[in-house]
Amino acid sequence: MDEIALINASQKGDLDSFNSLILHYQDSVFNTALRILGDEDLAQDAAQETFISAFRGISSFRGGSFRAWLTRTVINACYDELRRQKRRPTTPLEPETRDGEEMDSPKWLADPNMTPAEKSEADELEHAIQHCLETLPTNFRTVVVLADIQGLDYSEVAATARVPLGTIKSRLARARLRLRECLRGFEELLPASFRLEEESTS
Amino acid sequence: MKNFREIALLSSYLDEELNTTEAAQLEARLPSDPELVSVLNDLRAARDILRKLPARKTPRNFVLTRKMVGLKPPLPRSYPIFRFSTALATILLAISFAANLLTPQIRFAASAPQAVYGFGGGGCEEPCGGDTAAAEAPATEAPLLEVAPAPSTDNATTREGEPPADAMQMPKEAEPESMVAAQPPARNEAFVPLLWQIVLLVIILLSSLLMWIMRLSALRKWR
Repeated sequence: MDEIALINASQKGDLDSFNSLILHYQDSVFNTALRILGDEDLAQDAAQETFISAFRGISSFRGGSFRAWLTRTVINACYDELRRQKRRPTTPLEPETRDGEEMDSPKWLADPNMTPAEKSEADELEHAIQHCLETLPTNFRTVVVLADIQGLDYSEVAATARVPLGTIKSRLARARLRLRECLRGFEELLPASFRLEEESTS
Repeated sequence: MKNFREIALLSSYLDEELNTTEAAQLEARLPSDPELVSVLNDLRAARDILRKLPARKTPRNFVLTRKMVGLKPPLPRSYPIFRFSTALATILLAISFAANLLTPQIRFAASAPQAVYGFGGGGCEEPCGGDTAAAEAPATEAPLLEVAPAPSTDNATTREGEPPADAMQMPKEAEPESMVAAQPPARNEAFVPLLWQIVLLVIILLSSLLMWIMRLSALRKWR
C-alpha cells in the first residue's frame, strides 16, 4: 500500500483511496477508542466519527506520521464522547424478566467475565486490564493506551497527545504503577507467567 | 518507595528512552538497590501485561460512503451559468413586480402638488398671500360701507348691467374642472411591460429545468 499516494488522492477528494486507508487503520483506531472509552458501541461510534472527520480534514494533514495524525483524531473523538457523558450521564436500560420485572443482577453488576468458569483466560485478562484502565484518569489512560497498547514511541505519543515529552514520561510511569497496583487485585485472573513473575520479583 | 523522579527514570529506561549516560548510571545503581529493581519489575510487569492485551477485530468495517461525508456529484461546468441566470432572472422578476406595484402610488404622489395648484386658483411663484388678502378685505370694505350707507341708483344700474353674481362665479368654479381635463390622462401602463416579465419567467423555468436535468444525469453517472 502506497500510503503517501493514497493520502494525496484522498486530499483531492478520492473517497476510494481514503477507504483503503481506513481498511488499513480501522483496527488500530477501534482498539484505541475501545481502550479509552471501555465500551464497544461507543468505540464504534467514535471510530466512525474519527474517519468522517479525518476525511473532511485531511487537507490539513501536512505530512509526517499519518497514524499519529489519525490517532490524535480518534483521541479527540473519545474526549468529546467522555465530555458528553460527563454532561449527560446515561444509565442503560435494565434487562427485564419474562414477567416484565427488572432483573436483580443485571449484566453490569454480575460481570460474567470475572468468573473463570464462564470465559476464557484471555477474556478475563482483557476485562481485568480494561477495568484497571478505566480507574486511571483520562490523561493517564490515553498515554498508556498509546505507548503500551498501540506501541507508539514517546515522541509520537507526545505529538499525538500534544503534551511535552517530560509530561509523557511522568504520566506513563505513574499510570504503569497504578495499573500494577490495580492488577494485583486480579492475581488469580492473570496468566501464570505474570503471577510467577510477580512472585519472583516480590 | 522510590521518589517519583526515579520511577519516571525507570519507566523511561524500560522503554529505552534514556540517553546512554543516564542508562549507564541507572544500570550501575541497580545491583546495589533491590527496591529500585523491584519497582523496575513492577513497571515492566504492567507494561508487559498491557502489551499482551489482545487487539480486538473491528466488529464492522468503517469505510465511508459518499453520503456519509456529504460528497456531491461533480456537476458540469456550465451548471453555475444556469444557476446564475436563474438567480438573476428571479431577482429581476421580483424587482419588476415591485416596480409595477409601486409605480401608480409614486405617480399619484407626484401628481398631488399639481392638483393643489390647479384647485387653488392657479399657482403663484412666490408664497401666495391669499389668506392675508382675505383677512384684510373686510377691514378695507367696512369703512367704505360706513361712508356710503345707501347705495345709489347709478350703482344699482351699473350692477344690473353686470351679470349676476352666480353667473360671475360659474366660470371660476368651472375653471378647475377644465384644468383637470386639460391635464394629460394618467397612464395606466405598467412600469415593466408584461412581456418582459413573461420572458424572465420563461428564463427561470427553463434554467431550473436544465439544472435539474444536469444534476440528475450527473448523479446517475456518479453512481
